This record gives sequence, structure tokens and C-alpha cells, in this order.
Amino acid sequence: MSQAETKKTTWGPREEHTLINHHLRRLDAPEKVTGRAKYTHDVHLPGMLYGRVLTSPHASAKVTNLDTSAAEAMPGVKAVVKLYSDEKGLKYEGDPVAAVAATSPELADDALRAIKVTYEKLPHVVTPKDALRKDAPEVYKGGGKGNLRQSGSRGDLDEIKGIMAKCDVRVEGEYSTPIMHHVCLETHGVVVDYRGGDTATVWASTQGTHSVPEDAQKALGLKNRNAVTVLVDYMGGGFGSKFGLMLPGEIACKLSLIAKAPIKMMFTRHDEFVAAGNRSGCSVKLKLGANKDGKLVAMQSEVVRLGGLEQGAFAGLPYVYNVENVYSTAAALHTHQDGSVAMRAPGHVQASFVMEAAVDEMAAKLNIDPLEFRKMNLKDTAYHRQLDKGAEVIGWNRRPKKAGETPLVGAFKSCKRGMGCAVGTWGGGGYASCVVDTFIHSDGSIATQVGTQDLGTGTRTYIAAILAEEFGLPMSAVEVRIGSSKYGMSVPSGGSTTTASLAPAVKESTTLAKRLFFEKVAPMLGVKPENLTAKGGKIFVQGQPDKSLTWKQACKVLGRDNIAAQGKWNAELQGDGLHGVHFAEVEVDTETGAVQVIKMVGVQDCGLPLNRTAVESQMNGAMIQAIGYALLETNIPDPVTGNMVNANMDDYKVPQAFEIPEMIPVIDDGDTRNVVIGMAEPAIIPGAGAIANAVFNATGVRIKSLPITPDKILRGLERLKRS
Amino acid sequence: MSMKSFELRNPKSLGEAISLLDSNDKFHERTKILAGGQDLLTEMKEHIIEPEVVVNLKSIPGLNYIKFDPKTGLKIGALTHLADIAADKNVRQFFPALAIAAESVGSAQIRNMGTIGGNLCQRPRCWYYRNEHLVCLKKGGKNCLAASGENKYNAILGGGPSFIVHPSDTATALSALGATLTISGAKGTRTVPISKFFVLPRDNPRNENILLPNEVVTEISIPNAPRNARSVYFKFREQVSMDWAMSAVAVALELSGGKVTDCRIVLGGVAPTPWHVPDAEALLKGKAPTAEVLQQVAEKALEGAIPLNQNGYKVGLTKALVRRAVRYLTETATPPPYRDVNRM
Repeated sequence: MSQAETKKTTWGPREEHTLINHHLRRLDAPEKVTGRAKYTHDVHLPGMLYGRVLTSPHASAKVTNLDTSAAEAMPGVKAVVKLYSDEKGLKYEGDPVAAVAATSPELADDALRAIKVTYEKLPHVVTPKDALRKDAPEVYKGGGKGNLRQSGSRGDLDEIKGIMAKCDVRVEGEYSTPIMHHVCLETHGVVVDYRGGDTATVWASTQGTHSVPEDAQKALGLKNRNAVTVLVDYMGGGFGSKFGLMLPGEIACKLSLIAKAPIKMMFTRHDEFVAAGNRSGCSVKLKLGANKDGKLVAMQSEVVRLGGLEQGAFAGLPYVYNVENVYSTAAALHTHQDGSVAMRAPGHVQASFVMEAAVDEMAAKLNIDPLEFRKMNLKDTAYHRQLDKGAEVIGWNRRPKKAGETPLVGAFKSCKRGMGCAVGTWGGGGYASCVVDTFIHSDGSIATQVGTQDLGTGTRTYIAAILAEEFGLPMSAVEVRIGSSKYGMSVPSGGSTTTASLAPAVKESTTLAKRLFFEKVAPMLGVKPENLTAKGGKIFVQGQPDKSLTWKQACKVLGRDNIAAQGKWNAELQGDGLHGVHFAEVEVDTETGAVQVIKMVGVQDCGLPLNRTAVESQMNGAMIQAIGYALLETNIPDPVTGNMVNANMDDYKVPQAFEIPEMIPVIDDGDTRNVVIGMAEPAIIPGAGAIANAVFNATGVRIKSLPITPDKILRGLERLKRS
Repeated sequence: MSMKSFELRNPKSLGEAISLLDSNDKFHERTKILAGGQDLLTEMKEHIIEPEVVVNLKSIPGLNYIKFDPKTGLKIGALTHLADIAADKNVRQFFPALAIAAESVGSAQIRNMGTIGGNLCQRPRCWYYRNEHLVCLKKGGKNCLAASGENKYNAILGGGPSFIVHPSDTATALSALGATLTISGAKGTRTVPISKFFVLPRDNPRNENILLPNEVVTEISIPNAPRNARSVYFKFREQVSMDWAMSAVAVALELSGGKVTDCRIVLGGVAPTPWHVPDAEALLKGKAPTAEVLQQVAEKALEGAIPLNQNGYKVGLTKALVRRAVRYLTETATPPPYRDVNRM
């Protein structure tokens, strides 16, 4: 066994990186900005049909008559499927009833409208208030159990009540967050190319290239997963909502089995709002007790998750804080709404907002700087480091020391400025699954391939960076192949696990490829493989830079042979456990209730950053999404009709240019762990809390329910004036 | 999203266009006028309406113009694009409220396509009206679903039986500028002051204006009154980048010796029509706009507001906008430069 074989793979010293941990331009940026990048939405195949799904306009109903004959008789309509069954019923607005495939999107739309459906409306509940009513219709028939399903408790209530009573100071509140939508730029969907026979190809807008083949194989009744090739060259955002074949994919497969032709089935924006999943809301009663010296002592909480037909998500309280005495309960409250799915840091965004609001209030009540108060109650010193850094960057000392006591500014001297901060945590570790192959040929071509996907996080670019750095080549000299289920296994991009699962396997693959390559090249230079170094486009003998070969010369040694090196996960190259803080400065117009975020600072650790530009971009994107969550975005269900009244991009408001402030993403280089950790999700967690706390600091008004809209601010100011 | 099939007609003259419109189409459902299409086509794609015939005004020459004469004032052809109005030198100098209102509409793409005539005649944005599956009062149903539903954005003034707010920004501005509309129909041409153009739901729950099914707005005319050069449109948006007015105020006034000698104040986004407040104007006329006077004017402007269960905030918000608009116009000696004050 040579020396090189026994040597453990590491990322190497930070100062020696030439590409990793640098600011790298996204490899596919030119394709994306010029429109050359082809997304599933852009796929057009000869003879392709367009699928559309008819969804329930009612929150709760049954179908008493479903007549598809007129649609089937239309020329150009090639397949119609009924998706309703009496057993299933219709349990949410958006529940599929039937689907069609036709030769044009317009015809498919006309065919949907030709389907005659008679609905019998059933009683529904779409708001927490209605769902909790004694006489509320049960979403899941459970023998009178109602819609609230307890899912556990911890602690001893009586004991905690006793400790709480002895606390010097207590704060208490009811907090809520809305159901939010992912609003992926590319809606959910697939193109299924199955024309009969043994194989199929599926283009999918998915976060998991390898999460689709088995689903598709089963849906199409094919032999095994290898019968299906899944292609994900580019995908337009997922945020947790796109794994597996999903509803549009399942329907497309059904249609293609009938039509024996390629089916394109992309959700419309309306479908997307009512049937593609969402981030669960919450409603939380929280009580905190502290001592005069600023130590949190006790917490009592009652968490209700609002996940529609699903369970919803909520991270445990007291979240990141150190509170010894805790009593908490959790429950899911069901409504007739599309079920929640994962969305960027599920459970954490909700828990952080709730906990951070209460912590902030406690600090104010104790008259302690909210930043110092956090440090007093956070054990992990990484937070202390990040809070200090964020405070310095935003200028924390500029904030009003007492909430609301600040000069009026703005064109009409009606605005107040304030600052807030909040904290979040995440795992971000990986697991064994990825299989990465690297190939070198005698013409100098070098490629790494793996069946992963780039959902905007920059996977493609950092694979190239790892490979190019390994061989001392520019990124333009290497090739990266991803987005096909015909390449090696890779994890679905959920839970920010991709980097920590994939990058170690890439590193192992490139390290092995280099070792095998050096073994071939070494005899040409008359040295041992371990004496070789690859740098600056050359292979040379360490300490003797004149004894060298250019990359192309060195590759010639391969002749008709090539290098094929497979790498798998190495736990030592990745880590787990992330910290992040956000600071926000806001300007609140006390006459109109408008909240403008002026400046936002994020500080985030991630171990060894693979591409600093990509990490900063994730932080910027997360801050923008957090602004939407804090100030604008909410699913509005109408209790009377049962409909989501704002299921369109006009009434569902997302941040646009004027909503976006100066943003400063700070990578926490105080984190010296020499391992990679996924960070795209944690980057959003503390945002809403920081903004809500800044609103309090500016005005003295504590808004406990998101989003913080002008009407809530005006009502809050009104209450404050009266008290 | 596809529309239901319809017949597209491209008339060569106004007379031909009018002859193509069905005079018996009481609720303007069967034959529709197409100008910029920014509202009509959306309604058709979403199947809020499914007309049989669409009469395209763009095939008629001579309806797209902006003419200014200091003596006769401003004349705008109904097919003039909002973007052109917002950019017009004379509009910006002598009728800034209109330029600001036009600039505040939707997105650049919408302003490039959307016309002033279409903007005035657009249908309500109420989400119950815009849901294909719901039959609200506006679509011939029995009840206004917003009245006891999700009504954060609905009317606090002039509501009942429908509680829509009129969505047009330019309508509010033009009301403050004292515009007159020229309307062509089968019996010829009539001119009406804009204050008589819009109708409350209590008078007509289905249509927002006086147009007969076979009538077309062809021209908007604004007098070159001195007060119009000192005018502003304040539009408060929840989503600043692009949104409808949560509340809006248009004010035009004349200032002499520190006193307001003439003024018009019109509220938008709070009522089913632009909401003219003459009693509030009376409190301002002849006075210096002190904080105390502004408070009285704002209170008077919102007198009679009856909020629904979710839109009480609009009362305070609108009062603030009234005070602001007057302050903006009176705190400097010369008319202030054109500026979208919502994005200050």
C-alpha cells in the first residue's frame, strides 16, 4: 500500500485554497441570464401533449356527478382521467377531480371546462377559530376527537407554575404565523416521455433527481427504477416543496399511459397556490419567567401547528435558549386546506419568531439591552461572537435605547427608526448516499459526474471548484455533469443536507482520481507519485518546479486508458450544527403604518465555505424571503366560502425591488471547523424575528402575528396611545 | 389560461364600433370594448366574463393623443397609453396629480399597454368578484361577499349593497383636476363631468359608471385651472413596488398669500367611486393650512366613514394622507417637482 493510500482525505489548510472559500461566479450564470438554460417548463418534444388538472373549487365537498364525455369527444383531446373517488372525497380547495391531455394548452383548458361536475358542498373549516369550535365539522373523522390532535407534552405543569410564580418578571403572549407559500419561480411540474414500451424519460422540476425514478417507474408500471431516466438540467426553485414525482407527475403518468405520447404537466400559478403545499402556520401561547439579574428561569408554552390536512412543523421551545424549567405542549389543528410541506427551515422560522419576540419583550421589561440579554441566556459562544459582529456591522449603538423614544424622521416627520436582532440554529449535516465519478482522458478532458441537482444553491459550481482546485486547473478546464438519474446516486436537496452529503464524496472522488493519475504520470518524471503536485495548469515535482509537465502533456500518458475514480461520503469532511443571527433596521411610518426595512445584516457560520459568493447569495435570498414572511405574505382563507381569496400573484404579495433594503451578508469566519455544512435554510430563520423586534424598538408596538401589515401597526399604535 | 372563443371585430370608425356593441346588453357582458386589454383580457382569461364579441378600438385611428393649449386646457384621447401620459412634459408641469397617478399604475409593462380610457373603465379588484367560482353581487349574486367576509381592502365610504373600491388611480386624480369625459354613443356625443361619470352601487350595483352598453369614452379633457398645476396624488400601497391603492388622495389647490384660495380634494381606494369631499374643501378654503386646520379638514373628509370589520385602519390612514397631500402642496412657494410621494 502506498503512502498516499493511507493518507486521510482532508480539505487542507484554509490559506492554501485557490478556488474553494473564494468568490466564484456561478458557472451557469450566462445560461440563466440569457435564457439558454432549459428548465422543465421549456421542454418541447415532438408530439407532446399538454396536461391540465381540474381541481376542487370547494374546501369540502363530494362529487355527485362527474361527466367527462364532452371533453373526451373534443378533437385534439387525447386523454382524460378521473381522479375523484367517493372514498377520497374532496378535502381542500385544490383537491384534484380530473385531468386532461390535449394537443395545445388552450385546448387542454377548454377540455377542463367541458367536464361537467356536480358538487355537493359539505361543511368546512379553514380558520383555526372555526376548526376549534365545538360543533366544527371534523376534517378527519375520528369519532368526535375534533380537529385538534395533541402530539405530546413535556415537563410538569404544576411544578413549572410554581417556579413561574416565584420569578421576578414574567411576560406572556399569544403569537401566530400565517400559512406561507413557496412561490417558486418555476411552478411544479414534469414532462413525461412515455410512448409505450419498456422505458421512459422524465424531465422534472425537482429537488431530488434520484427521488423521481422509483415513483415514475411505479406510476408507469415499468420494471424497475432503471427503466426511467430523470433529467433535471435546471430547476426553478423548490424551497422544500419539490420531492418525488408529486401530484403533477402522478397525473402526467396516468395521462401518458392512455395517450402513449409525451405529456407536459406544469401547474398553473393558481394550482401552485392551492395544491402544491405550503409552510404551516402556528398559534402559540407562551409565558416566560426571569430573574431580575437577567436569567431566564421558566417557560410555559402551548403550540398549535396549522398544517391544513397535514401535521405542520414547529421546532421545540425554548428554541435556542437556555431555560431550565419548561412545560410545553404541542398539537396539530386540522383544517380543510392543502397540507403543509417542508419549506426552508421547517418549524424553525416559526419557533424563532415566537421565542425571539418573547425574549425581546422580556429584555425590554427588565430594561436590559436585548443583545446583552440574549448573550446572558445563550450558552453557545458562537452566538455571542455573531451577535457582536452583527451589532458592529449594523451599528447597534444607533438604536433607540428605549422602545419608541426616538426622533421623528422622514419627509413628513412621521417615521420612527429602530433595530432588532434574533437568532437561529440548524443541523446542516450530511449522510452516506452520494456516488461521485471523476474521469480523465488522454486528451486532457476531465469531468466529475453525479446525479445531484442544482436548485439554485450553486451545486454545479462548487463541484467544479473542488475538481479544478484538486488538479490546479482553471474552472473553465473542467466539466461537471449533474441532473441525470443515470449518474451516480445523490441525496435529495432537503434539510440543507446536499453540501455535507455531496461535497465529501466529490472530494473523495477527485482525491482518488489525482492519486491514480499521479501513479501514471510519476514514472515519466522519474519520481514517486507522492512527490507530485498539480498547480497552475502543470504537474510538477515538489521542490523542483522546473521538473514539470503541462496538464495536456501529462494526460497523454493515459493513451487508450483513462482514469475513472469513484468517491463516496466521508463523514470526516463534513459537520453539523449551525448558528446564525439577523439584525434589521426598520423605519415605521406612524401615520400610515408602513414598515420599510432599511438595512439588514445576516451573520451565518457554515464551516468551510465552498463558494463565498454562493453563500452570500443564499443569505441575501433568505433575507428577502424573510422580509416577505415578516411584512407581506399570507394565505388568506375566507371562513364563509372556504376559498383562499388571494391565490394569485396580485393579491399574494411578495417582496419586489422597493421592498428590498441594503443587505449585508457576513460569513462567520470565526467558525474554523474545517468541514462543510449546508447553510441555505438557516440563513432565513431569524429574519422575521429581527424585523418584528426592530418594529417594537422603533415604535413600542409589539406585533405578535405575522405578517406585520400597516393595519396591524396602526391598530397597535392606537392601543399604545390609549394605554 | 385560455379564453372562451369570441369574435374579434376591428372597426375602422367610432360609428362602426358603436354599431357593433349590443345596446341591450345591460350588464356589458356580451359585447366588450378592447382598448389596452390590461383588465379585459385578464378577466377573460380568468373567465370572470366570457363575451361573444370583442370590439377592438385600436383599429380606429385618432384616439391616441395628448394636446395642450393654455387656453383650452388638456385633451387626452382615450386610447393614450398611461406611460405616455406619465412622461408628458405638459401633464407633468400643469397637471402633476395625473402624471403621478398614471405612473403609479401597475408595472411598466402594464403602463405601456394600458390606456387612460381603460383605466377609468376597469372593473373592481375585489377578490370575491375576481374568483370565477363565486357569484357575488357584482356578478348578479344576492350578496356582497366582502360585506361579512375578508374585507381589509374594501370600502369605508359609499358602500352598500356592494363594498368594492374603485381601482382606478387616474380616476381619483382626474376628479381632483375637474376633468370632463367625452362619450360617444348611438345618439351622438355627450360630455359629462367626471363627478357624474361614476355611480355608487346603491344606484347601480352591477356597473361602476354611467356608460350605456353601446357607449365609448373617447376623450378626457382637463381645464387649465391654476389649482391644477399645484396638484398631487398620494397613493398608499401595502406592497410599495406594485400594488393597488390601499387608500389614496388627490388634491389640487391654489395658494395665495399663504392661504388656500381654491382647492379640490378627492379620496381613492376607500369608496366604490372617487370620493369627492366638498365639505372638507370648504374648511380649507380661505385659510392658512395650519396643523389645526389640516386636522379639521382630514376629520371632515372622513366624516361618515363606516368601516367594515377589517378595514377600520383606512380611516386614520386616509386622514394622514389628506394632511400630507395638503402639506406637500403648501409648504413650498413654487409647485413641488413631480415625484411619486409613496416612494420617498
